Amino acid sequence: MTDTLLNISSSPHIRKRLTVGNVMFQVILALIPSAVFGIYRYGLRAFLIIALTVLSTELTEFLFDYISKKPNTLKDGSAAVTGLLLALSLSHSVPLYIPILGGIFAILFVKCFFGGLGKNFMNPALAARCFLLISFGSAMTNFAVDGVSSATPLAALQAGETVSLSDVFLGFSNGVIGSSPLLLVIGGLILLAAGGVTIEIPASCLIAFTAFMALFGGKGLDPHYLMIHICSGGVLMGAFFMATDPVTSPMTSAGQLLYGVIIGVLFGLFRVKGTATDSGSYAIIIANLFVPLIDKMRVRKPLGYKNGEYREHEFPKAAFNLMAITLIAGLTLSSVYLLTKDAIQQQKEAAKAASYQAVCPVAVDFSSNTAMDNAIQALNGGVYNENYGKTYINEAVVGTASDGSVTGYVISVTSADGFDGNITLSVGLAPDGTVNSISFTELNETAGMGMRCGDDEFKNQFNGVKTNAFLLNKAGGSTSDSEIDSVSGASISSGAVVNAVNTALAFFAETVG
Amino acid sequence: MKLKTFRGGVHPEGHKELSKSLPVEAYLPKGDLIFPTNQHIGKPARPVVKKGDKVLAGQLLAEADGFVSANIICSCSGTVKAVEERHTISGSRATCVIVENDGQFTLASGVGKERREGTFSNKDILDAIKAAGIVGLGGAGFPTHVKLTSKNPEAIDYIIANGSECEPYITCDDVLMQRENRAIVEGLKLVLRLFPNAQGIIAIENNKPEAIQAMEAVCAGEKQVYVQQVLAKYPEGGERNLISVVTGRDLKFGQLPADVGCIVCNVSTLYAIYCAVYHSEPLMERYFTVSGDAIVHPRTMSVCIGTSCEELIHAAGGIKDGCTAKKVLCGGPMMGIAMSSLNVPISKNNNALTVLAEDPVEQAQTQMTACIRCGRCAHVCPIHLVPQMMAEAAQHGDLERYEQKLYGLDCIACGSCTYVCPAKRPLMQLFKQTKAAIMASKRK
Repeated sequence: MTDTLLNISSSPHIRKRLTVGNVMFQVILALIPSAVFGIYRYGLRAFLIIALTVLSTELTEFLFDYISKKPNTLKDGSAAVTGLLLALSLSHSVPLYIPILGGIFAILFVKCFFGGLGKNFMNPALAARCFLLISFGSAMTNFAVDGVSSATPLAALQAGETVSLSDVFLGFSNGVIGSSPLLLVIGGLILLAAGGVTIEIPASCLIAFTAFMALFGGKGLDPHYLMIHICSGGVLMGAFFMATDPVTSPMTSAGQLLYGVIIGVLFGLFRVKGTATDSGSYAIIIANLFVPLIDKMRVRKPLGYKNGEYREHEFPKAAFNLMAITLIAGLTLSSVYLLTKDAIQQQKEAAKAASYQAVCPVAVDFSSNTAMDNAIQALNGGVYNENYGKTYINEAVVGTASDGSVTGYVISVTSADGFDGNITLSVGLAPDGTVNSISFTELNETAGMGMRCGDDEFKNQFNGVKTNAFLLNKAGGSTSDSEIDSVSGASISSGAVVNAVNTALAFFAETVG
Repeated sequence: MKLKTFRGGVHPEGHKELSKSLPVEAYLPKGDLIFPTNQHIGKPARPVVKKGDKVLAGQLLAEADGFVSANIICSCSGTVKAVEERHTISGSRATCVIVENDGQFTLASGVGKERREGTFSNKDILDAIKAAGIVGLGGAGFPTHVKLTSKNPEAIDYIIANGSECEPYITCDDVLMQRENRAIVEGLKLVLRLFPNAQGIIAIENNKPEAIQAMEAVCAGEKQVYVQQVLAKYPEGGERNLISVVTGRDLKFGQLPADVGCIVCNVSTLYAIYCAVYHSEPLMERYFTVSGDAIVHPRTMSVCIGTSCEELIHAAGGIKDGCTAKKVLCGGPMMGIAMSSLNVPISKNNNALTVLAEDPVEQAQTQMTACIRCGRCAHVCPIHLVPQMMAEAAQHGDLERYEQKLYGLDCIACGSCTYVCPAKRPLMQLFKQTKAAIMASKRK
């Protein structure tokens, strides 16, 4: 009847239609709303960044396959996904070499060199993003729109400003191209509905993060505070799209829950204790490193291998394990804080004394001054002068020489307007009100950016100047002594420092001068 | 109502509508019939006829040789043409009795003799089952009289009649349950007589409402027997999963259902038991589905064991015009055997032929990519293995990890992992090879 040879093969003889290409396409589809919004919000520049990144990842993979004589793997679509994910986590204002470099790094160094699709042990897009953050810090975190720089919602929140949750949620705050939480959540739900990701990772990650922030964020269960944190700094992008990359996440449900909790806790830890606000990327690639271990640790028992011959009610072991890990992590963190609290206080005192000496070098002794003390008492811990933002006078002392003559004054001021929290500095003044120098006792700004306020190049601009108030020059190239050139890319940190010094000057003028 | 089911499994397209609605006919073969002596698990039967012998329908052709073996019964009348080696469905060769069919189907004496309830003992039941050559008709082919001979019959709590029929395309059990509902329950009650403490459960997937209705109608007055609906999902009918779903008891590799107080019988087997005990009819015919997208009139028929596959395809209208049968499967597409030739007979434990115009495996080979570790395989594994890790261990030749850490021998070869794999990895093939390698090294 049939002359043609029949095909033989091992069962099963049917396959579900879904291919790896489809899986990748689902991710791209789920990211399209965010990408479109990014282009709408940031204009053609955003489109250019997205196009360049995707082009760079695709071309890198193509060339690698070509040069190493491997079959072309572009059709699996994973390079496009990596490109799109990377592009959406870049600022629209980055120089154009950044997406190109990032694409090459992601594909060549993170993926191809480790054996291509399925063999990389870190999320390529995130590894590339971290590489770019370290190499081009200021460009990567400049979110200025039309040349006007403003703080990201997290920075604003930390500075104590009111942040509109609806603006943040709809995506009208400053950030990366794909930073509309609403559309990221919609995309995440699309992906969940299509079966592209399982609920375990995003759910455990977000729950662990929220719990961590509620416990250690300092605002308790304040819903506004928690929502702002969830909706910014790449948490949603991370939870739905980055952490769920199948290649770098665990295989089984229990493993995925554990992995999600690790990411959530790291997100929170970096938020609360770390310096960089946008360390979500690091949280995920660190968790990626745990994946082989998690997979090995949690090889599940198959049907019939539960204790005893007949199955009893299943003991929710995984849930208990996860809870124990979360509790241990929480307890460790809080105990480290308690143990180190006193030591930190002593260190602060010592640092204060050293900084007083540094800004008032000729003095041999520092003593209090009634007029200044009374004025500080009168402030009752409040803001000194609204014009200078949230600045507070901590202490003011008089420096005296060995013969008892006044050699200068030192005023310690804290500004709460730093990019990453408080900035505290000591301003040393000559008896006539000329600034000797300034010295920081607390400076936790972004490495490579705000931290450069501590460099002599910036600090020394104040030295030897007698003025009523300094002016911040964001553009640089100051002509007058009383103008201070901002550290480039860190106008918020620089402004906070200038305001703190001005507060000291005003306080000096009020009480002594 | 939330239906009972297991964790994992897949939902391949059923295609059951193709073959379930047509009226069921008995197909009488025209050509020669071939009876392999190895239609069961265990030792092949020993032929008791020789070339030139006249044989009748219902006559013994080869008798059980040893404890785990089964009789082979002639399903037509005619002359023995040869007793020689022939190819069988699996592609291997086996001793076969070839009977030239005279087209009369004359019954041997004693076949069809009615037996009344109360006139036979438990031993008579087992003897009748053994004489009739009944084996597990769901596919396993394990001799039924061996399965039902228990040292400790009091320890059996459940006899599960498996009517789940989760393989796509196949509808023979569905049709059988609709037409022979009373006989199946009587067959089940015969088995229950052998196990004093047991209850009978008829497990049927919820995608067979007619069968459920028919079976429930018969069970209504019964004390020991009831119908349990289970969710339509592949591989719901797999023994380990079915026991777990219906009774909550789990089996591991190497354990028999009896170890957890269960015995599972396919509904076709129970029907055969009923025929053998009450009507003295040995196993000559069975319900059989010929389906697939390349078949003109897909249908379920009552067919004679020993009929050639080619003839059965012809009986179902043959191959559609403009269609080439790329792949012919004995069984369904999930666990069926791909046949290299159609000139082979069907055995007792075969339940379907599925003829496909396209070969999805061929297509899948062109779509194969690297594993993306998506975990879908682990998600669907009904035994809760992690196929991705098993494949890795197998590829690295780490048989110890495969067996000890990953429980690789527990794989039931259902193929769910391979079905869902988006990277189209040949997982099942790898697992079958690896399991065979491990079993071979154990035997040494």
